[in-house]
Amino acid sequence: MAGFSELIKTFEKTRDYIRDFFIYGCKGRSEFTRRSSRTYDDEKRRAESWLGDVIRYDDSQHGRQVSISVDSGHIPENPLYQAYGAKSFTDNDIRLHFLLLDLLSDGEPQNLRTLTDRLSIEYGAVFDVQTVRNKLTEYVKEGLLISEKQGNAAFYRISPETAAALLRTYDGLDEAVRFYSLDEEFGVIGAQLLQSADTRNDIFYRKHHYIVRALEDSVLPEILAAAEEKCRVRFRTFSAKASANPESEGGAFEVVPMQILTSAQTGRRYLAGYIPEQRRFHAFRLDFIRNVKRTEPEPDYDALKAAYLRNLPHVFGVSFGMRHDTGAVTPVKLTVRLDAYTEGYILERLEREKRIGTLEQTGEGLYTLTVDAFDPNEVMHWAKTLIGRIVSVEGGTKQAVGRFYYDIKRMRDMYGGDGNDALS
Amino acid sequence: MMLFHEMYGAYFRIAARVLGEAPLNVQRLQYIVAEEGFRDSVLFVPQKLIPQKDGSDWGLLRQNPDGTLSAVTKHPPVMPLTLLQKRWLKARLSDPKMRLFLDDETFAALSEKLRDIRPLWEPDMFRYTDSFSDGDDFTAPAYREHFRLLLRAIREREVMYIRFHSGSGRRMEMRYLPLAIEYSRKNDKFRLFCCAVRGGKLTGSGNINLGRIEQVCGTGVRYEGKVTAEDYFRMRRCESPVTVRVTTERNAVERFLMEFSSYEKHTERDVETGEITVQLRYDKQDETELLIRLLSFGPVLEIMGPPAFRAQAAERVMRQYALNQEAAVHSE
Repeated sequence: MAGFSELIKTFEKTRDYIRDFFIYGCKGRSEFTRRSSRTYDDEKRRAESWLGDVIRYDDSQHGRQVSISVDSGHIPENPLYQAYGAKSFTDNDIRLHFLLLDLLSDGEPQNLRTLTDRLSIEYGAVFDVQTVRNKLTEYVKEGLLISEKQGNAAFYRISPETAAALLRTYDGLDEAVRFYSLDEEFGVIGAQLLQSADTRNDIFYRKHHYIVRALEDSVLPEILAAAEEKCRVRFRTFSAKASANPESEGGAFEVVPMQILTSAQTGRRYLAGYIPEQRRFHAFRLDFIRNVKRTEPEPDYDALKAAYLRNLPHVFGVSFGMRHDTGAVTPVKLTVRLDAYTEGYILERLEREKRIGTLEQTGEGLYTLTVDAFDPNEVMHWAKTLIGRIVSVEGGTKQAVGRFYYDIKRMRDMYGGDGNDALS
Repeated sequence: MMLFHEMYGAYFRIAARVLGEAPLNVQRLQYIVAEEGFRDSVLFVPQKLIPQKDGSDWGLLRQNPDGTLSAVTKHPPVMPLTLLQKRWLKARLSDPKMRLFLDDETFAALSEKLRDIRPLWEPDMFRYTDSFSDGDDFTAPAYREHFRLLLRAIREREVMYIRFHSGSGRRMEMRYLPLAIEYSRKNDKFRLFCCAVRGGKLTGSGNINLGRIEQVCGTGVRYEGKVTAEDYFRMRRCESPVTVRVTTERNAVERFLMEFSSYEKHTERDVETGEITVQLRYDKQDETELLIRLLSFGPVLEIMGPPAFRAQAAERVMRQYALNQEAAVHSE
């Protein structure tokens, strides 16, 4: 494996491999159809190197399978953050980082010429002025350095704040950062902050913790910046099928970003946006999105956002689609039987899980949830969590309701019918 | 402003620690690489840190006559807070849960400190589509006080007296050793992981919803025994995993593996059919939640065992089938 490096230049390709190891955790080398087997070997070795403790190997008749096995609810640190610590760099990058910060560590502002000369004189590190200028500019942008004008010359000084000092100064902030380091939105930044302060989370845990979302964070900054500046974004989407095809270029979209929609129950995150070309709102899976680039400002952003917000009361999950495709959809009416005295917890469940629906008592022990959703399929998927209590389903679409009854019949055959042999 | 930047990387962290500890010998350097780096970093990083005759190293250390290595830098390495980190903190200030950690005065001071920083995102940019609507009130004074007392108790391993009402409404009061705190985005609630303490001994494990706590106070007793959150998780684990078979219909394999990616599991795929058989491990207390989530997949997922778990699924399905038959009769 000559030329192998633990570090990577871009995140996107590796993001796919890590995701597949983690999610599909059951593919052997021959099943990874993307790119060459050499690439598979390199990516696998990287995954093993970064995530050693949580990698699991299973030998099967199809070869050795590598997967990431972890109970996400029982870990105080997200192991997938390791991928963010593997950015490649040049020898000059690391040398300039430590030498420049060393020269500036006394807090005194210095100009480009002085710094370049001192690098040479004090460390024997000869760099051309442009290289030093580029690094200083980059570090000003990242916030490590502060640039100030003195006359015509720019002077640079080190930003005086460190993570350790900040966490010491504000009582309780260290615990807060520990807690948020597991968060689904940029928890990795919290984890990096803790690392800088030489501490770690050891007491907070997350239930329903989809650690793989950390990999999607890499596309979020560009989307968030575009939304903040009311700009469009251009990107490509690769479904699982397209992703498996090395020839596929995915689908190209230009979208006005509205919100990031997160499901706390299915593990998926979406970019909800308006597609000007198709004149409709749509939710794109974040894990399928690649190559996000901000494009031009959207002049109608505010009006589109207002329209988006008007649509939300009809979105049960993330789908804006059914009415567009099928025309009229009537509200789903789901009637559930329960004893409010002995099964009050079911009533509580309906109340807290009904989302955009309205719940009313419609008879003795009967409660009807009415959901006026664009996509009744989303309602019916959730409705199956109430199996054993659903007295009737009305409205929605014929297809969605018909599927419910058909599914129950199939499940009856599965669990109680003639084919019930799994119990024996 | 980049999230994926080498200055947050493992190699920069190794270099900072080596420079901070220098002078040091090669063995110590290798130890640091092994501790801070990735599994294979020992194969790549030492030769970049140790001066090489051909100048292929990073130029951060010099070799002394006695073989030890000194830093070429003159001060301990400093890593300032980055703009990205400040913008992240500023965004976090908008989260009501931040008030659990910071008192009002500290919150105001930190807000003032970050006054000119733009948050990395505005709160309305993220929307949870299926979180429950009865989340805890994180800003309630009593809740905040309980949270902080329990947090301190975890750090100090103090046995606490806790009075609360259980899920069934029963009032409970006992001494507990708090071990860890769990948050669920789905429930938007915190739970305390703890062990009951009787006569100075641990008598069992439990969890308490913070929203159900009525009173918390310290007992002044420190627990000196060795019990950790990992021990707690072992106590709560199911005896046998649930086994399910998932078909390829309706993209069920992908949906299932994504939705249940938070579980510790072992997956086997039938290469011919594409079906998967999965063994899932879970906390005993969450059995009902697991059951209804599995049933929501409908006929594309079959619970194979253990028998008692499958029987629960079968009972619900048969009950629903009977309801459907009843409805069909009424509609005729």
